[in-house]
Amino acid sequence: VYQVFENVAKKYDVMNDSMTLGIHRVWKDILMHKMNPCPGTLLLDVAGGTGDIAFRFINYVRSVQQRQLQRKLQHHQNLSWQEIFESYQKDKFNSLGDSQVVVCDINREMLKVGKQKAQHLGYSEGLSWVLGNAEELPFDDDKFDVYTIAFGIRNVTRIDLALQEAYRVLKPGGRFLCLEFSHVSNPLLSRLYDLYSFQVIPVLGEVIAGDWKSYQYLVESIRQFPPQEELKAMIEDAGFFKVDYENLNFGIVAIHSGFKL
Amino acid sequence: VRCQHCPPLRALQASAALRRASDEHKEPLTSSSQQHFDSPPAGHQPEQEPQGPHPSYTGLGGQESEDYESEEQLQHRILTAALEFVPEHGWTAEAIAEGAKTLGLSVAAAGMFHSDGSELILHFVSECNTKLSKLLEKEQKLVQLGEAEKKPIDEFLRDAVEARLRMLIPYIEKWPQALSVLLLPRNIPSSLSLLTSMIDDIWHYAGDQSTDFSWYTRRAVLTGIYNTTELVMMQDSSPGFEDTWRFLENRVADAMTMSNTASQVQSTGEAVVQGLMGAAVTVSN
Repeated sequence: VYQVFENVAKKYDVMNDSMTLGIHRVWKDILMHKMNPCPGTLLLDVAGGTGDIAFRFINYVRSVQQRQLQRKLQHHQNLSWQEIFESYQKDKFNSLGDSQVVVCDINREMLKVGKQKAQHLGYSEGLSWVLGNAEELPFDDDKFDVYTIAFGIRNVTRIDLALQEAYRVLKPGGRFLCLEFSHVSNPLLSRLYDLYSFQVIPVLGEVIAGDWKSYQYLVESIRQFPPQEELKAMIEDAGFFKVDYENLNFGIVAIHSGFKL
Repeated sequence: VRCQHCPPLRALQASAALRRASDEHKEPLTSSSQQHFDSPPAGHQPEQEPQGPHPSYTGLGGQESEDYESEEQLQHRILTAALEFVPEHGWTAEAIAEGAKTLGLSVAAAGMFHSDGSELILHFVSECNTKLSKLLEKEQKLVQLGEAEKKPIDEFLRDAVEARLRMLIPYIEKWPQALSVLLLPRNIPSSLSLLTSMIDDIWHYAGDQSTDFSWYTRRAVLTGIYNTTELVMMQDSSPGFEDTWRFLENRVADAMTMSNTASQVQSTGEAVVQGLMGAAVTVSN
């Protein structure tokens, strides 16, 4: 698995766009909306190498913070100009409201690409990059508010260990969110999807990234991955409550959510 | 050092720790939430808070033992704690997040509920209805024990509606927002059933024993009175809401005269019909 992603790291984003025809951005946005984080949330994004989820989180929290600030200012209509200026300054330095993201990945190359992207796009505060294995996270217990793993859990050898680790590092009341390719139940769509996956994607892999084998592996690992209900049972076994899933695009992708209560 | 989290009985970690830590503090709150799930002792009880997705207990540890609470009870507690943040944040997920924080849970726990705050509002309405019900029951007991006078119907209705509406006063600023959320198609079944059961309750304690069509008319009338008074209260800026209470008084009085008029019309109608019959018989002879 390590080598697959080492090869793939640099072209990862480009491949994502071409494989999913850009829809993966929508999926990640939907995930963020479902999370609906408020300022002050501590997020752990596992297998989030190139930072897609992390950047979206920062944008979301920033806009929520802005809205709250506006509402506060509306209430303080009768403040003097001086006071308004001061409170504005104070809140400008706090644009994220103490929210933080820790991006954890097993692969150094993916993290490197992520850091470069962050610099390039201008994300400076609230981000940390940590090298780590999802089956054995280098964090203390009860630390994070939200744990996400987007398109990463199918690459973990022991999914149950990863789920147990997720449970461990989450605070009581914390949320587990998993965005992953899943099973399409509609037979017609499933035929089309199979056709697309096995014929088109490896070809794209060869053309864009020069790597047929990695993308062949990718498509096969998607087929091997447990379906929605089975993953839900595994999440419940790890100790999560109120486990639920939402199918996107008829089951091509599913978001599983659970709470540590 | 990693510790294994595999308790044989899958208890809610957070609630167990909280209950152990602050047992005396939480006692009154949890005992009141316990009561929600006991069957009602007497008469009608307003419907329990309509639940969204029901908790699914699969795998090991599906049973709830007495020491640990269920997901529903925890959700109940979070929503109750969230109510105190409503004046500041409105009926939103932010208020729920703040409520979760006070219970020692992560703010992500607000993700258990819908982001528009529907569950919070429905929870609040259900709590108010329960409070009203208890109040009316207490009053009824006093009357039965002979310690208080039985009120005439119009005064009883007036007092019941006023007591119920007064519970809105701390949240009155954000209540219009709550009303609009309650009218969303998704929420209408729940909010409607809460409303009808509350009205049922009031009539029950008012001593309504009717089994004929008047049962429906009475409920319709009282629902009308309640809703219009609530709307008046939204725009009322008089001290102590005295305008609202005067409006309520007038509406109840109207309803009383209307019912008197209706029965008068009925008896007049009957007299007229009898007169006509008599005339017909006379003519035919």
